[in-house]
Amino acid sequence: MIPQNMHSMFARPNHDEASRQNFVNDFRVHLASKVFPGTFPAYFSRVLPAFIKTQGREPKDRHEVRKVMTKDPYYQLWSAMQRSSQEMIWDSVIDSVERQLPDLLKKAKDLKGKGSLTINPDVKVPKYHDAADIHLQPGAYHTDTTEDDLAAGAVYDRGTYIYSMGGLGKENDGLGRITREFFRRQFPDKKIERVLDMGCTIGGSVTYWSTKEPGTEFHAIDVGAPCLRYGHARAKAVGGNVHFSQQNAEKTNFPDASFDLITSHILLHETSVQAIDSIFKECYRLLKPGGVMLHLDLPQVFGQNPLEGFLWEWEIYNNNEHFYGQLRELDTASVAAKAGFDPAKFKIHQVASTWEDGQTPYSNENFTFPVYLAVK
Amino acid sequence: MADDKKPVKLPRTAKGKKPIYFDSTTDKLLSMVLTLMGELSVMRDRLDTVERLAEKKGVFKLDDIENYELSEDVNKIRGERRAAYIARVLKSVQDELDALQQQGDGMNVDLPQ
Ligand SMILES: C[S@@+](CC[C@H](N)C(=O)[O-])C[C@H]1O[C@@H](n2cnc3c(N)ncnc32)[C@H](O)[C@@H]1O
Repeated sequence: MIPQNMHSMFARPNHDEASRQNFVNDFRVHLASKVFPGTFPAYFSRVLPAFIKTQGREPKDRHEVRKVMTKDPYYQLWSAMQRSSQEMIWDSVIDSVERQLPDLLKKAKDLKGKGSLTINPDVKVPKYHDAADIHLQPGAYHTDTTEDDLAAGAVYDRGTYIYSMGGLGKENDGLGRITREFFRRQFPDKKIERVLDMGCTIGGSVTYWSTKEPGTEFHAIDVGAPCLRYGHARAKAVGGNVHFSQQNAEKTNFPDASFDLITSHILLHETSVQAIDSIFKECYRLLKPGGVMLHLDLPQVFGQNPLEGFLWEWEIYNNNEHFYGQLRELDTASVAAKAGFDPAKFKIHQVASTWEDGQTPYSNENFTFPVYLAVK
Repeated sequence: MADDKKPVKLPRTAKGKKPIYFDSTTDKLLSMVLTLMGELSVMRDRLDTVERLAEKKGVFKLDDIENYELSEDVNKIRGERRAAYIARVLKSVQDELDALQQQGDGMNVDLPQ
């Protein structure tokens, strides 16, 4: 595993913990590069011919592919191992965090730095986060296990690095790098006085932005308190400057026309369609005239063949990403129009990832993220 | 603060329904195998650390391990330990065999000797 840079809030693994984490990473790299590719020949050499033989035609969509592929022994074994590897990520990380929690809590209190933190215990965890622990992180983003807890954030910082097999970069800020590079390509001269990042988790992306745009005031919101506490401490540790607050992106307490830019990074697929409606409306309300809304998320079904479509949805059925299914088919242009955005100023861009050399997310080298971009 | 209280236990199991891949037993076996695979890798790394430290501190050289000559005594001790280890790991198979043997008493069951 390419070593992750460990800032002072990082839950440093001891010898065996580090070995275990390295193993999970290397195991996942093996699954992605050596096992997963076999699902294609399994499909084309036996699953598809068998389907054609009985039905007299090819599967018409990913749902039909699912029915037959989930019975194929090769696919089953890959899928079961992939699931286990996901459970092993968290298991390998939780040990380091649990062991050092008192120390981390103290460090977070003592650290000096910029930005702020506002926790609001009245904010409820939305239903779409309470039904199941998304991507199998035990306790998810929001479970407090002690006073001023930040464990969920510390677990997330290491867990997502292993999940992406280092693809998010040594600082675990890859998504922020992608959006900032994209934004500055689209709007090279735009002045941004105030920026809001929605669903920031530990602020991996927004904290990166804050180090690159020092004249700008950055706000970041999330519903998960332990992630926000860790995010604030982490931002101090890496020299960021972000105002974190516990708020639901569907309805915030910022005044109208507060921001020049509102971003989110892989937030939408973890919310419901109703929530996305409200979030786009809230963005419209919060943006100044000429302000920019920029949501980066995971691929939709459009343009994927039935097999690809099926494989992309593994996370929905096996990794508790139940709500991703809704975003997959959502007509985001209509949602933006309903929220008040001028259809002529809304566009979906496909943005290539700027992963560091030799690092690819998943096993797909041509990976792009859709970015939903609108100007008010 | 957690200092003077009992150490905090973090949640270890994700909320939500777990899919079934083969059947519940086989799925468990698979995750046991993968966990063991991980633990063996952890152990190998640890041994590697011990060996390297030993060399660095002048206790012995890595080559000494490669050139280690098995004496008759040590060979015997290891052989016994290995047999006990294999029996322990394959205990569930032995149990089934024992049960079969009991049922099969007088029924001419063909068992390997
Ligand atoms: C995959 S994480 C986002 C990662 C993060 N943006 C980054 O760049 O590293 C999704 C986050 O969205 C948060 N979230 C989900 N629904 C939300 C809502 N309605 N309001 C605020 N945050 C929300 C979750 O608590 C979680 O922390």
